[in-house]
Order: sequence, then structure tokens, then C-alpha cells
Amino acid sequence: MKKMIIFDPAMCCSTGVCGPSVDPELIRMSTVINNLEKKGITVERHGLSTNPEIFIKNKQINELINKEGVEILPVTLVDDEVIKTKGYLSNEEMAKILDVPSESLQSKPEDDGSPCCSEDNTTSDSGCCGEDGCC
Amino acid sequence: MENQFNSKGIHLTKYLFFTGKGGVGKTSTACATAVNLADEGKKIMLVSTDPASNLQDVFETELNNKGIPIKEVPNLVVANFNPEDAAKEYKESVIAPYRGKLPDSVLQNMEEQLSGSCTVEIAAFNEFSNFITDEKVQKEFDHIIFDTAPTGHTLRMLQLPSAWTNFISDSTHGASCLGQLAGLEDKKEIYKKAVETLADGEQTTLILVSRPENSPLKEAARASKELYEIGVKNQLLVINGVLKTHDDQLSENLYKKQQDAIKNKPNHLQQIKTYEIPLRPYNVTGLNNIRAFLTKDNIMYSDDILAVDEMKQLKDIVNDLYNNDKKVIFTMGKGGVGKTTIAAAIALGLAQKGKKVHLTTTDPAAHLEFVLEKSDDITLSRIDEKEELKKYSEEVLSKAKETMSKEDLEYIQEDLRSPCTQEIAVFRAFAEIVDKSKNEVVVIDTAPTGHTLLLLDSTQSYHKEIERSQGDTPEAIKKLLPTLRNEKDTEVIILTLAETTPIYEAKRLEEDLARAGIYSKWWVMNSSLYATNTTNPILKAKASNEVNWINKVNDLSKGNFAVLEWKPEEIKGEALLNLLS
Repeated sequence: MKKMIIFDPAMCCSTGVCGPSVDPELIRMSTVINNLEKKGITVERHGLSTNPEIFIKNKQINELINKEGVEILPVTLVDDEVIKTKGYLSNEEMAKILDVPSESLQSKPEDDGSPCCSEDNTTSDSGCCGEDGCC
Repeated sequence: MENQFNSKGIHLTKYLFFTGKGGVGKTSTACATAVNLADEGKKIMLVSTDPASNLQDVFETELNNKGIPIKEVPNLVVANFNPEDAAKEYKESVIAPYRGKLPDSVLQNMEEQLSGSCTVEIAAFNEFSNFITDEKVQKEFDHIIFDTAPTGHTLRMLQLPSAWTNFISDSTHGASCLGQLAGLEDKKEIYKKAVETLADGEQTTLILVSRPENSPLKEAARASKELYEIGVKNQLLVINGVLKTHDDQLSENLYKKQQDAIKNKPNHLQQIKTYEIPLRPYNVTGLNNIRAFLTKDNIMYSDDILAVDEMKQLKDIVNDLYNNDKKVIFTMGKGGVGKTTIAAAIALGLAQKGKKVHLTTTDPAAHLEFVLEKSDDITLSRIDEKEELKKYSEEVLSKAKETMSKEDLEYIQEDLRSPCTQEIAVFRAFAEIVDKSKNEVVVIDTAPTGHTLLLLDSTQSYHKEIERSQGDTPEAIKKLLPTLRNEKDTEVIILTLAETTPIYEAKRLEEDLARAGIYSKWWVMNSSLYATNTTNPILKAKASNEVNWINKVNDLSKGNFAVLEWKPEEIKGEALLNLLS
């Protein structure tokens, strides 16, 4: 199994919703990593603000940011090799490297299989169909 | 007639929280209680959590966030934790270990991320929790007295423990959204203990302070309910500034108005044990006045002479705003100085001159529709924190739903429950309203000073972030800070009363605005007794004490100020016109 590590710049939260605007790239990455996790594939992810220590300990990333500065982030390493800087891998690239079908990384909105859900109750904490799951 | 509030005869728990709308006398009451208890031989710690605290002015001593013993009061230690300093310390503690180990651009990135209002709030809350849970403090002192920030902010802070603890324990994908605050997980126990202490009636009393007026009483009722809901049930109400005698028209009007407000206080407050403090003829600064505050009157007339040639009126300010074609007008100042009324009067004045006006408020306790009716020329709105959060969440989720499954959505919902998100939501609403100034004059009645400062602060730090962000940031947000800094369009009117605290605060506000690059010219001194002809001894003493402050504001504003006389009635609707004539 290949080992993938992503180094993020400093940010408030991994989805970006607590920043000034939602970054679709961050949402996509959250989804992808979440889906991989469900398959038992762990992608390590480190944020500059949450875990600065690793930016010193990890030799590759430390060299990179010392040379290129913060602009180089986000950076993706696979088996200790830098494969992408200044942006996240696309779903296709991820799928190829980790050897999984690319469609399995992208959730489809239909996946929740609950056509009865209306637009306006998605914010409820318990999900759109109410607590008993019955629509 | 209610019982008079004093430090004896009332069962006092270890932790005492004084809360209420700005300008109701929380600080005076908290300080007087602290000093009286210390004089009785109790060991007392007094802590302020107000971003715009004035404990330094009251004790005439330089304070810090750890606690300074007060020389003249042997058993009293006073701490003032300024959230911005706390945030600075917190930021430094996070970054310091990496200096020299990570390149500067990287440290700078971390630093920017730690500059938002979120950090300020967290840092303040950290210190607050430490005080509540610190065993050394608990052992060393008989009572720990908190003089808290204006209500809106306090509520948030007191709600944070439960918000954070729920958030931390519910989080299934690690504490990702805690981001910079991931370290908080270690503090879970401290927060839990803080919440428990607050909810324990044997340990904690919440003292709601109000003026004998409708609006602060309503605010007290709101705070009381919300705090009750988060478990803080041991509550007292103190009504400060009750006039006891009346012997001329003005004092009779005031007396009647106060008694009506007390009699008609919200139902919710009727069930809470209530105390009163009489209206004092002096400002509470210096130890003599602090000691006397809960016990006796010292009527002293000031012999200051007015050194002002001409006192302007509100209509002069409205004319100036009109002639200079201002597009965004703020009324700012401490709570209780009449921001809403003045904002409404300015809106009305500009509408009468033919401008299209939008009047809005960010004050959680606002009630614009009671002050001014909307018309063809005037539209009204309110930035409600909870509403804005809901709106923002819906917007994010509907966008996310286009590409995400239900399970993934829950992941986002989790981040949306983070306490920082509310701040963002309010901030966006604020930007949208300022953006309306393209088509109409926008008059903004802002929340109490501390909150406003946080808002402006986030404007600046988010502005930096926006420049980097790849997300689609609304135009309104991109344009916010440039608009606020454009002195051709934007003007801040500083409101104060002719009293120590509001003036010191107004001065600090003016400095903060200057630092943020925001233009302000006019000052308004509201509710002046000097401008009336009262003969009542207490009111006359208060009026004579105003002269010194009017002179001071004359200097501070370079003569650009108006003085409005105290009015017995609630100023709304037609009566607003009187302010303009």
C-alpha cells in the first residue's frame, strides 16, 4: 500500500466553511479522504496551524518550505516522494496512485437514496429524514 | 419598594457574575461589592472580561490579566483580561517554538490564521475558564467576582463551554474544524469543570444589572432566560440608578418613567429576587465613591465653567452628512448611550432631505421597528446572529449538496456547528448591508463597543485571507474594508454620555478607528442633564459634573460635537423629529 501524506497551509478548518468563503477544492478533498477512509485507506493530512511540528520533522517538506516558502503548500507526498505542490491532486490522479476506481472517490448526491427529502430540511442535525430515518 | 443592594444581608456564593447591557453600571456595582467585601475582611478577586473594560479608570491603577493587589484595599486583587492581549499571548505561545525552525513566510501564514476574531474569543475564554477552575485562586479567595462584557458577548462566552464541549465530543472526523485550536482537546476537562461550576447554584450567582428603563430590563430578561437555559439558574436582579425623590418637573418625569419601567418589567424578571441601588449624584471613580456607592449619597456640586462657545445640535450633523453626501454612516459607542435613537433620527433627517435610507442594527437587543416606522424612503433591517448562521449554513449546504452525498454533508455540518462559523455568518451579513450603499445611504446602529471592535478586527484579518482565497468570495466582502476606509463615503459618529466611562471608551474607540483607517468627525453627547434646567439636588449635582466632560469632548472632537438634552419620554416616531428641530 502506498503511503500518501498531504501538507496543508494554515487554515481554520479542513472544509473551509469557517473561512470567508467555501473553497470547493477543500470540500472535494474532505470528501475524497473521507471516502478513502471508508475503504480502509488512510491518507495522512497535516495542517500548518494544527501540527507545525511535522513541518520540521518531515525532511522533504521541511526542505521544500525552507526553499520555496509557504506558497508551495499544499504539498502531497507519496512514499516520501513529492508528487504535487501548490495544489491538491485531482480525483483521477489520486485514484491512479492509490489504485482504486476513481468513481469511488466521488460521492454522488443521489447516494443518500432518499428522494423524499425536500430542499429545506437539510440543515437539521439529524439528517434530512428525521431521527427515525423514516421518510 | 425593593430591598437595597449591599454586600451584607445577601447570601453570596464563591463566584459572582455581574452581567447586563453596557452602561447599566455593572462595573460600578461589581467594584463596590468587591471593595465592600474586602473591607469586611474577605479575600476578593475581581476580574473583568470586557474587551472595553474600564476597571483601570475606576481604580486609577494600571492592571494586567494576572491580577494586581490594590494598595488601598488590602484584601483586593484586580485583574483585567483584555481579550486582545490574551489573544496576542496565545498567538505567541503557539508560534514561538517554531521561530528560527520554520521560514518567515510560513510563520507569517500561521500568524495570519491566528489573527481572526475566533482566536480572540478563544483566548479570552481560555483565561476565563482558567480563573473559574484554578484551584489556587479558589483556595486563596473567598469570592471571585466577574465584571463581564456587554451582554451579547458574555452570552456567547458563557455558551462556549457547552458549545465547545459538545463540539469536541461529537466530532467524528477528528477535531478538524478546531484547526488552530486543536490543542483545545486537552482542555476539555477544564471547560467541563467551568460549565459545571457555572451551573452549580451553591457556587455561582449570576447578578443581572439593569437601569430602571424598559430596554435594559428587556435585555436583562433575555440574558436571564438564555443563561437559565444553559444551566445558570441561581440569579439575582439589581436595578441601578433608581431616583428616590422628586421635586421638580424633570425629576418627577424621571421618577415616573423609572417606576413605570420597574412595575412593567418583563414577566420573566418578576420571579427573580430583585434589589435596587439609588441614583447617585457622582460618577464611580476613585475609592471614596466606590465605597459610598452601595451605602450613601455624597452630593457635591462641581464649579467647572463651560469653556465652549457654541454647542451644536443633531440637525447640524445631519446637514453636514447630507452636504458631504456620505453613503455609510455608523453610530458607535458604549451600550446605553442611545445609538439606536440617534441612528434612527439621522436616518429620518436624511430621508426628509430626499435621500433613500436604509437603517440597520447589529445590536442583539435592538428594536428598530418600535423606534421608527418604515416608509418609502426608509427601509429597516436587523442582523440577527442566529438567523444569519442559519442562512449561511443553508447556503453552504445547498452548494455542497450538488456534489456530495448525505454522509459527506454531515461532515460539513459538523464544521458548520463550529463556534467560528457564527462569526463568519454575521460578518457576511454586515458586508452585504454595507454594499447597499451603492444605491442608498446606509445608517448602521452597531452593537456595543467590544463587539464592534471584534467585527472591525475580523474585517481586517479576513481581508488578508480573501486576497489568498480560491473560493468564490462574494463581491460585498471583497469591497467591505475599502469602503469603510473611504472617508468620502463612510463616517462614524461617536456617541457618549457626559460621564467618565462612556467618554474614556469613546476615546479608545476613536483611537481604534484611526488605527483601522476609518474616518470619524462628529461626537454626540446624549441625555445631558446640563442641557435641562433641573433643580432637583441629585440631578443638579449630576448636571454640574457634566461640565468638565463637555469641555473635554469639545477638545477631543475639535468642536465637532452636539449635546442633546435628557428627555423623559421614549423617543420614537414623531418625537424623533424633535431631535432634529
